[in-house]
Amino acid sequence: MNLLFVISFVCLAAGMVGGGLVFSFLVAPHRPGAIKNTPYECGEQPIGQAWIQFNVGYYLFGLMFLVFDVEAAFLYPWAVAFRQMGTVGLIEAGLFILVLLVGLAYAWKKGVLEWV
Amino acid sequence: MSAYNVMAMSPFIAGAVAVVAIMLGIAVRRSHRASAAATVAAFALMLACIPVAAGVAPRQVTPLVVIDAYALFWLAIIFGAGMATAILARDYLRVRGGQPEEFYLLLLISCIGAGAMVCSRHFASFYLGLEVMTIPLYGMISYICSGKRGVEAGLKYLILAGAASAFLLFGAALIFSEAGTLDFVGMACATVNYSGSLVVLAGLAMVLVGVGFKLSLAPFHLWTPDVYEGAPAPVTAFMATVSKGAVLAALLRYFSTVSPDTFMSLRTAFSLAAAASMIAGNLLALRQTNVKRILACSSIAHAGYVAVAFLALGDIAAHAVAYYFAAYFAATLGAFGVITLLSANGDLREHDAMEDYRGLFHTRPVLAAVLALMLLSLAGVPLTAGFLGKVYVFMAGIRAGLWWQTGVLVFASAVGLVYYLRIIAVMTATPKDGDHACEVLLPAVSSAAKGLLAALTLAVLWMGIYPAPLLRIIEGIHLSAH
Amino acid sequence: MTLTAIILFPLLGGVLAWAAGWKSAASARRIALIAAALQCLLVAALALRLRLAPLAGTASPWLAELRMPWIPQIGASFHLAADGLSMAMLLLTAFLGLVAVLVSEGASGRNGGGLHLCLLSALAAVSGVFLAADLLLFFVFFEAMLVPVYFLIILWGDLREDRFAAALKFFLFTQASGLVMLVAMLVLSFLNARATGQLTLDALELRGVPLAGAVALLLPLGFFLAFAVKLPMVPLHSWQPVTYAAIPASGGIILSGVMAKVGAYGLLRFVLPLFPAASSQLAPWAMVLALAGILYGAFAAFAQTDLRRFIAYSSINHLGFVVLGIFSMNGLGQRGAFALMVAHGCSVAGLFVLAGVMERDGGSRDMARLGGLWAAAPRLGAFALLLIMATLGLPGLANFVGEFLVLLGTFQASPRIAVLAALSTGLSAAYALRFMQRIFFGPRRGAEPAADLSGRQAVAALLLVASLLLLGLFPGTMLQAVNGVLP
Repeated sequence: MNLLFVISFVCLAAGMVGGGLVFSFLVAPHRPGAIKNTPYECGEQPIGQAWIQFNVGYYLFGLMFLVFDVEAAFLYPWAVAFRQMGTVGLIEAGLFILVLLVGLAYAWKKGVLEWV
Repeated sequence: MSAYNVMAMSPFIAGAVAVVAIMLGIAVRRSHRASAAATVAAFALMLACIPVAAGVAPRQVTPLVVIDAYALFWLAIIFGAGMATAILARDYLRVRGGQPEEFYLLLLISCIGAGAMVCSRHFASFYLGLEVMTIPLYGMISYICSGKRGVEAGLKYLILAGAASAFLLFGAALIFSEAGTLDFVGMACATVNYSGSLVVLAGLAMVLVGVGFKLSLAPFHLWTPDVYEGAPAPVTAFMATVSKGAVLAALLRYFSTVSPDTFMSLRTAFSLAAAASMIAGNLLALRQTNVKRILACSSIAHAGYVAVAFLALGDIAAHAVAYYFAAYFAATLGAFGVITLLSANGDLREHDAMEDYRGLFHTRPVLAAVLALMLLSLAGVPLTAGFLGKVYVFMAGIRAGLWWQTGVLVFASAVGLVYYLRIIAVMTATPKDGDHACEVLLPAVSSAAKGLLAALTLAVLWMGIYPAPLLRIIEGIHLSAH
Repeated sequence: MTLTAIILFPLLGGVLAWAAGWKSAASARRIALIAAALQCLLVAALALRLRLAPLAGTASPWLAELRMPWIPQIGASFHLAADGLSMAMLLLTAFLGLVAVLVSEGASGRNGGGLHLCLLSALAAVSGVFLAADLLLFFVFFEAMLVPVYFLIILWGDLREDRFAAALKFFLFTQASGLVMLVAMLVLSFLNARATGQLTLDALELRGVPLAGAVALLLPLGFFLAFAVKLPMVPLHSWQPVTYAAIPASGGIILSGVMAKVGAYGLLRFVLPLFPAASSQLAPWAMVLALAGILYGAFAAFAQTDLRRFIAYSSINHLGFVVLGIFSMNGLGQRGAFALMVAHGCSVAGLFVLAGVMERDGGSRDMARLGGLWAAAPRLGAFALLLIMATLGLPGLANFVGEFLVLLGTFQASPRIAVLAALSTGLSAAYALRFMQRIFFGPRRGAEPAADLSGRQAVAALLLVASLLLLGLFPGTMLQAVNGVLP
């Protein structure tokens, strides 16, 4: 019985994706052009090749952002349940932030935050 | 979170504090020597915390983790292996320059993940442990990024391990869909109750695929030689021991609650995978000309051997697997230790080609003798640890009536002898020319590494000659108590 | 305690010799020689003491024993025990060990100490094999013998042969068959534990385990396989000629003189008492195989031109007689097999001493290139003549006693096989005399060694000749040793 659900889900998922592709292929007008093939860069004209080496600093910035972004995501539910969690919860959240701060200190010292 | 729980978790807490402290230390002042020393001290502290935890064991800490004799035994050998890896890595990284300090952080985190896995009694903690163990491994494999091989190996492992994790998760999700729980005991009950269900069967099969990849059981073994060859030698040692042992230990805990007759088809599949690994691993190894690749193939075969013991399930399997891995850990770390020390050389090259070992008995007799002993132990020759490991596996197989698997084991062990002896034979051959000998002579071995190799040698001999004390500890482990 | 000393003493001597070998090869050899001689005295003293004062009034079949817990978790104990059979084999081991060290090649060159370490640790392991009364302990020593011999072959083996292939083949055959035996041992122990609830690997306590069905036949076959490879018996012999060709002569003395006897000893000590019913069931087949070995060995020995391969095939021929005697399943044949084991140990050791002399300083061992050696080396010639006479079973020399008793015993069991085996002794005479003729008589062909027996080699040769004569003229003393052991 359960298998039936799974199978119907699989069929439904495949149908949605495949159906969409097939439908757009059938219905959409087909007029290719040079402008249409350019990558979308927020309306700006792209300059040069897309296959260039990015400064590794981008990734490190991205990672640092991600760490604190996710931290915030974890802290929201804690904030909501703050009273129920009590002192232990506070200490635990403090430890959590402390560990991340140590990481930040490490990254800072390593020079990740210095641009160029 | 009572004080007892803190005591039970003290090895992990010690490790986690050590990671943060060492990271801060690196931020303040970089010193390879200090980082390595602090890491070894951290492992020593974690090992010292195990008796503390044993005082309150067996104890279930939250629904996720259980600290019992089985978990503590595994923690001890995992942390021991981690310490050995740290000592080896210091010699290896010292000559290679760069920024070697962070390696130790990855190593510690990976060990903590492996430890979490062997303590887990819930799929969530199992998976968490698995990922915490695996993700630092990506970094460790490609830590030496000057060469192409390391990066290639890391990428290969990243992609394949990711796929394996996906299988594992999907399998768990399928079981969850029937069982409604991710608790090992609950999942096991569900597998018994729904033994006719295709969904559960498919889920279990997918879990086995994911685990089979980590254990490098055939037919999921193809990555092993490439990754083992490309990774730095100490990392290979770590992967061949800790990442295998921890997965199998966790899997055994999971399956020990299932009655062996529940899934005959699954048992057959696992038997076939074991037999295929024994045969494929040994036959592949025959054709290799690189010592690391040979040891990688041999580790595929060893996964097959230990899978035979695993199939016995229950306490017999727990004892056999625990002893076998203790012996295998010592011998593998010793063998890779020698490779590491030979590679800790001024020419920054991995000394893993067969030619590098020609005449080693003449140029570096002690290292050669240690390597020969470790290889004989892996081959299961008496008076070494590996022999009694084999005896234990045979006994488990016989008691569980696994006749044909035991037969394959005998055949495969005999084939395995060929390539172990080939390495030993190459080491005894006379070196081709004089200057090659001088080149091999160069690496200076630190006293810590010397002490480590001496300890491993003693361990291998001790476990082979008088294993009764260790076996007393192992026989005190009972899996089915929970 | 003495029993442990018998195992540990040669090992200690080997380690000392190895340590001394770093300074000078000659002192290593001296130490090894002293150790081997003392080992002879030790074993002889124990044998004398046991003969004077056997454990009277006890039910134990052992003359001396030592039992300590070893690995209780799998039922293995450190159980050493000696009876007449093992004492006789120990004497042979210690004696041939002394001979091997006397003629060892380690006097010159690098790492002479290592050679002696290998020789003496092989002796220690073989002594352990003859003393072990626990199956796992026996197996440990049985396999531990391989390692020193392996290193002897690859480090000091004959450069003209493919040493690595030979060593590998030797190790592989023995280890593979050994693993089969190990599984058989563990299954036996498991069946015993299931029947009696007692986990043990003790050879005595495992007697009389009820066996039924396929297991009753497969278990003895597992043991038989390992011992048949060790001997070797004919379809499993292919490792032996290459190994005998590649091993240094001193190692060859121990390998052929003592280790091959371990196979026969194992049949007598384990296969027959543990599986009496299956043994008598298998006996006719084993006798046919033994006869095949006798004939094949004789013909193949006749065809050899290589000295070492000649020794190998003549050994197959003689060990066929040993197996024939064992599986005649009567006291006469088994006594003969025992006598032949000892006698062949001495005579084959002599042949290896001979080979060592011929090959010294790169001398040839190709019989086609040798001839007329008697004139140049009369002492060697006399020695060889006596060995050849022993090999072909001349009355008055040790081998005759064994072969004669084996044929008597076989005749009781199967007259047809006995007649065929008796006829084959003519073949032995043919290959043995041809060997003598080719090397020592006829015209010289130029590849002969220049020198006769050197001092040490002469001592070794004298010892062997004396033992062959003594055992041949007074076999009663030797046969008395096994009175309580064999039916």
